[in-house]
Amino acid sequence: MNLHHEYARYVTRRHFFRDCGVGLGAIALAELRARAETPVAHAPGSPLAPKKPHHPAKAKAVIYLHMAGSPSQLDLFDYKPELVKFNGKPCPKEYLEGKRFAFIRGVPNMLGTPFKFAKHGKSGAELSELWKHLPDVVDDIAIVKSCVTDQFNHAPAQLYLQTGTNLLGGASIGSWATYGLGSENQNLPGFVVLTSGGKSPDAGKSVWGSGFLPSVYQGVQCRSPGDPVLFLSDPPGLDREGRRQTLDALAKLNKMQADALGDPETVTRIAQYELAFRMQTEVPKVMDIAKEPKEVLELYGAVPGYVSPAEGATDPRTLYKGTDPTIANNCLLARRLVQAGVRFVQIYDWGWDHHGVSAGEDIPHTLPIKTQQVDRALTGLIKDLKRTGLLDSTLVIWGGEFGRTPMAQNSPSQPFVGRDHHPYAFTTLMAGGGIKGGQTYGTTDDIGYYVGEDKFDVRDLQATILHLLGLDPFKLTFEDRGLAQRLIGVEGKAKLHPKLLA
Amino acid sequence: MRRILLLLIIATPLWADDKPVSFMRDVRPILAKNCFGCHGPDEKARKAKLRLDVEDSAKNVIVAGNVDASDLIKRLESEGDDRMPPPKVGPALPLEQIELVRRWVKEGAKWGRHWSFEKPTRPPLPDVKLANWPTNAIDRFILARLEQEGLKPAPEADKFTLARRVALDLTGLPPDPELVKRFLDDASPNAYEHLVDELLKSPAFGERWARMWLDLARYADTKGYEKDLGRTIWRYRDWVIEEFNRDLPYDQFTREQLAGDLIAGATLDQFLATAFHRNTMVNDEGGTDDEEFRVAAVKDRVDTTMQVWMGLSAGCAKCHSHKYDPIVQKEYYQLFAFFNQTEDADTADESPKLAMPTKAQQEQIAKLQAEWMRVRQELYTYSDEFKAAAVKWEEGARNRAGWSKVKPTAMTAASGSTMKLLDDGSVLVQSRRPARETYTVTIPAGTKPITAIRLEVLPDMSHPRGGVGRSENDGNFVLSRFAVKAKTKDGKASDIALASAMADFSQDKYPIDHALKNPDAKKHGWAVAPKQLEIHQAAFTLAEPFTPGEGTDLEIMLDHQFEFNYPGFSLGRFRLFLTGDDTPSLTGELPAELRGIFILPPAHRTAEQQAYVLAYYASLAAEKKPLRDKLAAITKAIDAVPSPQTPIMRDLPAAKQRVTKIHNRGNFLDQGELVAPGVPAAFNPMPASAPKNRLGLAEWIVHADNPLMARVAVNRFWGHLFGRGLVETQEDFGSQGQPPSHPELLDWLAVEFRAKGWSMKGLLKTMVMSATYRQSSKVTPELVKRDPMNRLLARAPRFRLEAELIRDEALAVSGLLSKKMFGPSVMPPQPDGLWKSAYSGEKWVNAVGEDRFRRGLYTYIKRTAPYPAMTTFDAPSRELCTIRRLNTNTPLQALVTLNDAAFVEMAQALAAKMQATGKTADEQIAHGLQRALVRPARPEEVVVLKELYEARLKHAADHPDEAKKLAATPELAALTAVANVILNLDEFLTRP
Repeated sequence: MNLHHEYARYVTRRHFFRDCGVGLGAIALAELRARAETPVAHAPGSPLAPKKPHHPAKAKAVIYLHMAGSPSQLDLFDYKPELVKFNGKPCPKEYLEGKRFAFIRGVPNMLGTPFKFAKHGKSGAELSELWKHLPDVVDDIAIVKSCVTDQFNHAPAQLYLQTGTNLLGGASIGSWATYGLGSENQNLPGFVVLTSGGKSPDAGKSVWGSGFLPSVYQGVQCRSPGDPVLFLSDPPGLDREGRRQTLDALAKLNKMQADALGDPETVTRIAQYELAFRMQTEVPKVMDIAKEPKEVLELYGAVPGYVSPAEGATDPRTLYKGTDPTIANNCLLARRLVQAGVRFVQIYDWGWDHHGVSAGEDIPHTLPIKTQQVDRALTGLIKDLKRTGLLDSTLVIWGGEFGRTPMAQNSPSQPFVGRDHHPYAFTTLMAGGGIKGGQTYGTTDDIGYYVGEDKFDVRDLQATILHLLGLDPFKLTFEDRGLAQRLIGVEGKAKLHPKLLA
Repeated sequence: MRRILLLLIIATPLWADDKPVSFMRDVRPILAKNCFGCHGPDEKARKAKLRLDVEDSAKNVIVAGNVDASDLIKRLESEGDDRMPPPKVGPALPLEQIELVRRWVKEGAKWGRHWSFEKPTRPPLPDVKLANWPTNAIDRFILARLEQEGLKPAPEADKFTLARRVALDLTGLPPDPELVKRFLDDASPNAYEHLVDELLKSPAFGERWARMWLDLARYADTKGYEKDLGRTIWRYRDWVIEEFNRDLPYDQFTREQLAGDLIAGATLDQFLATAFHRNTMVNDEGGTDDEEFRVAAVKDRVDTTMQVWMGLSAGCAKCHSHKYDPIVQKEYYQLFAFFNQTEDADTADESPKLAMPTKAQQEQIAKLQAEWMRVRQELYTYSDEFKAAAVKWEEGARNRAGWSKVKPTAMTAASGSTMKLLDDGSVLVQSRRPARETYTVTIPAGTKPITAIRLEVLPDMSHPRGGVGRSENDGNFVLSRFAVKAKTKDGKASDIALASAMADFSQDKYPIDHALKNPDAKKHGWAVAPKQLEIHQAAFTLAEPFTPGEGTDLEIMLDHQFEFNYPGFSLGRFRLFLTGDDTPSLTGELPAELRGIFILPPAHRTAEQQAYVLAYYASLAAEKKPLRDKLAAITKAIDAVPSPQTPIMRDLPAAKQRVTKIHNRGNFLDQGELVAPGVPAAFNPMPASAPKNRLGLAEWIVHADNPLMARVAVNRFWGHLFGRGLVETQEDFGSQGQPPSHPELLDWLAVEFRAKGWSMKGLLKTMVMSATYRQSSKVTPELVKRDPMNRLLARAPRFRLEAELIRDEALAVSGLLSKKMFGPSVMPPQPDGLWKSAYSGEKWVNAVGEDRFRRGLYTYIKRTAPYPAMTTFDAPSRELCTIRRLNTNTPLQALVTLNDAAFVEMAQALAAKMQATGKTADEQIAHGLQRALVRPARPEEVVVLKELYEARLKHAADHPDEAKKLAATPELAALTAVANVILNLDEFLTRP
């Protein structure tokens, strides 16, 4: 399957009619409408029409929770008694020589976690006391402790993880997925993005951009408040009936145009306007989490209609509250979107960059608040997916763009305590959709500085996601700048980890 | 024969089957795609030491004329394990491709260079049967091909369609109704040419083509990456517009953008042109390595240069030699070496920058300068009274006593700091550095009249920063008050009023006046940064001359109440002086030259000397003060004219130039072999006279021997007029790109472009004047089937307008469009909350007034959050060079033009125009259609919209409050719904 050529053919001239075996002009408007109303899939030849995967898929959909800023694995998952023992001692030189840090200069002190850890579930996975709910589902998730990346600053690391290159201009995982597989529901975007934490991720909208892929594959940000999808609402003073009447008139005139000039593109346009009309009704329906029963809302800790004071604040970090339900709302929404046939839901939560330089970004105070926000939401999501039978076909991922250092960034005399960026070891959670849960995968050394066994590169994570979606990460390519571009990079370092796969 | 037929249907190039197989055109692309990966230029990936891209090596597996003896064919056709490409690498070649390779071997396996690497020559014009159809050479090539295929060109489009098409293509705007009328009324055979000429002269021409160029230049208003802060580089955008309008020849256009700074005697505009390559991104994220992102920017410059001018993607040679095209890794870094010498280094301030006043600003400055000269002239024109006053002044000045130093007799510091009297009469303050401080210094007043007191502040090394003040922060002081009391012998004290103050230097926003009259002593006062290390003088003039009695003292109070994070903003060392002169000057010293003249009696002075005396007096005489103030005000006004600091390219001085080494696997931290600037060996050599710098590279690019530059350029213009290039892969003229549909036409255009002096307007005119361009776009199902991609051009192409053009067209027909050109980018309204950059406080502030309705190319582009209505219509976010936009057709686009408040506002404006122009609803609707589509409305269209109009009118009558939200009256609300439809018509969104 050469998707690039297929796409080029599409762009050149959508073969709408030739593929359907119907001549131009022979299609009645009613039929067009009817076709648009079939709530299954895009018209054949449309760039979002469902495409056959390379191999049978384990996961039909992905929900990726990216904690922008990067949570501390050492205070949440990767317990290091040795590090606690050396708390406050200067960091040994061998860990510093030849290393590039974002902010650490000179010789920092080691920082043992101030939190307690305990074992949970049949798998006996070790979790920090900050997790109150996650222990309930620990046997469904794989805790991958051996993640590594090439990048140690936010924007490049987020881009590297999400688009396969540390520079701007690459295509995001979600856009690769919709490019490779199309979308199951024509009335909804195939790739939806939800954000919380009051800010966009550091690399901006580029982390859900389509880069060199056609823009039709870029993520569509669903927002709240405001139009859930930009420009979704009819203008004030034009009700649904009015919109229907305008679209009917428009379709009639466009049909005359199609008959007169015979351009298949005109016919495609008529269909796209009908799709837009359907989206206008469908998207708000799916977005309306108030429709969920109380016990489901409870499961996530969701509060329909809640608008966080952190949203739109100049510095939201000092406004964070552990009970803020924004990310819970987004998790519940993600489940609804996946249920409705959305291929890829990307949740970004900002505010995890805990350097310990000022209030609102340190480990003793802010990390517990951020963890509390996400704990019940993430746990609820996994429980809910399981309850609705969707977990087997939905891949859930949780993690940051890198880890945090075993050393404190600041001298202990200051009121705040935190850790610098650390690309050499961090933890990512994976569950559902073809992942073998109930295991802790990979190891790190005694202080959590370097990965020991089963090194899991960001490239491997990208390959795993595509593989579970039924796509061959080595064969999913797009010609750009003279190269067959891939999510996993042209050099193709990625590998799959059989022990992680169900 | 059946195989060949199959081929003709499948293969993109539509070659006739009687031509011999060409290696470059037919065979090499097959080998490149399937074999070069392991048997091509990349030495590291090469298997079995076999190269199929080089004739000598390939001859090992090919026997010319003998298919059966050629190992290549055997291996391609094998069904066993030795099949090529190996099953692990890829599938077997399709039969028809193997057939082509067979035929080529059979025909003698003649080698050749890739078509685009051979210099184009002017081909002869082919003969055609339909001899009266062609209007120029273009049509001869197109028609010859059509006739070969047994096809006929389409008839000419009607005049309305032509007017709308050519206006949208050349100016990016629909034609002005006046222009259309003139065209329709013009019965001469040159009517169309007159129209074209007018459009080429329109200032909108430059805006339309700048739009195209800015995608290549990856122009944006922010720096990219995490912070994505704003950048002031719109002067470059304006330069592009102006040069397109001026029709700067393309070779010079190229030279100036790549190396304008290196042109001898470069003008400001030539420096400005180099901002082309300062559109690269800058990473301001804390903790990032500037060198890493400087290198990334330099690589982007190499890649962009190769893409834009050579139509080649060099990017992959960063890490390894190009797999398909003749650019080895070393050559990539030789190109890199040209660009590796500029001063810029990923710094937050984006230096080097130059002040780039706009034409208007330059004029404003020139006007102010002229005014300054005029006032200056007036200042130095003297009346007789003035001359008489000058004589009097001279007498006084000659006899003046000047300042006399006074030694304090007592001094105290409120904080308890030590105050020490030094031999030179100055007071040195030491020890404590409190937040606030008040000094009281007593000096004997003497007996002569006093008119002014002078304070001299001196730097001293005993202070924290060695400055005049004692601040630990920067060695500055802030004097919040200077006051004087007289104390008679018997102890009676009285305030002495001060009238004015002057100083030789005052810090910005900390004038000396504040020491006399302070709006808020905690925040204001007299200070001297950044000149804390120099001696300064301040003089305070008494309101009335004071004549002290015997034994009277003056008590001087120096107060410091300034509050800041750091303490100690108090004076560190100072001296005091007194004078009784009428017009005290700061130093009290007359210039030596003046004193020299004073010695001469007036009759012995030269005219020059006399003029000097008068000019000196003019600089202090009270009657000339208004003129002096005026001059100062004009100087200030000149400084206040904004002249945008624009990033430019500038090479490092020779001594500081960088060395360039190969980056192993593209990693800038792992550098290998040293390389010198140079061009890839596969192309024309650098001209002998060309310097080994960017200017030399530019000369190489524009050189007549360069096989690519002209072809790539004409193909790009063609692509914009015809929807796709003659080479469809506009971004790739290498062996992986598509071959041209009309190779001879491409070469003819390339040769012609150069021969006609690189005139871009001339080239575009040739294209739009052709009969090919003027055809109707109507198509039959048979023709769609026969030539779905319209490669043969048996009809005019029809394609959706670009993002910016959709906005511009809707603004134009609704009458809202602002024709204002140039200037900073604007922020037309967009939905709230789209800018939430992590660490940037910058905000989208909706424009007011006409800036809301400017053309799309003036819309502010933030790379990490571009304007949503544009990106939905496939506008790139300008992170990297975009050679061509791929058009999509999606439901999200429908939502923009239906619901975006900007488009609703345009519909409302169009409705108002419709209402104002027609009496009946039918007339109004017909008018709206014609405004938008240029052609007259058809009755059946009016019927459809009239039906909608009436339905909405009825609805408005039933729901008046609802309708009011759309428009003021029910009729207008109904017309707005109609206008909303018109602005969404396929015909409206499509270039006809």
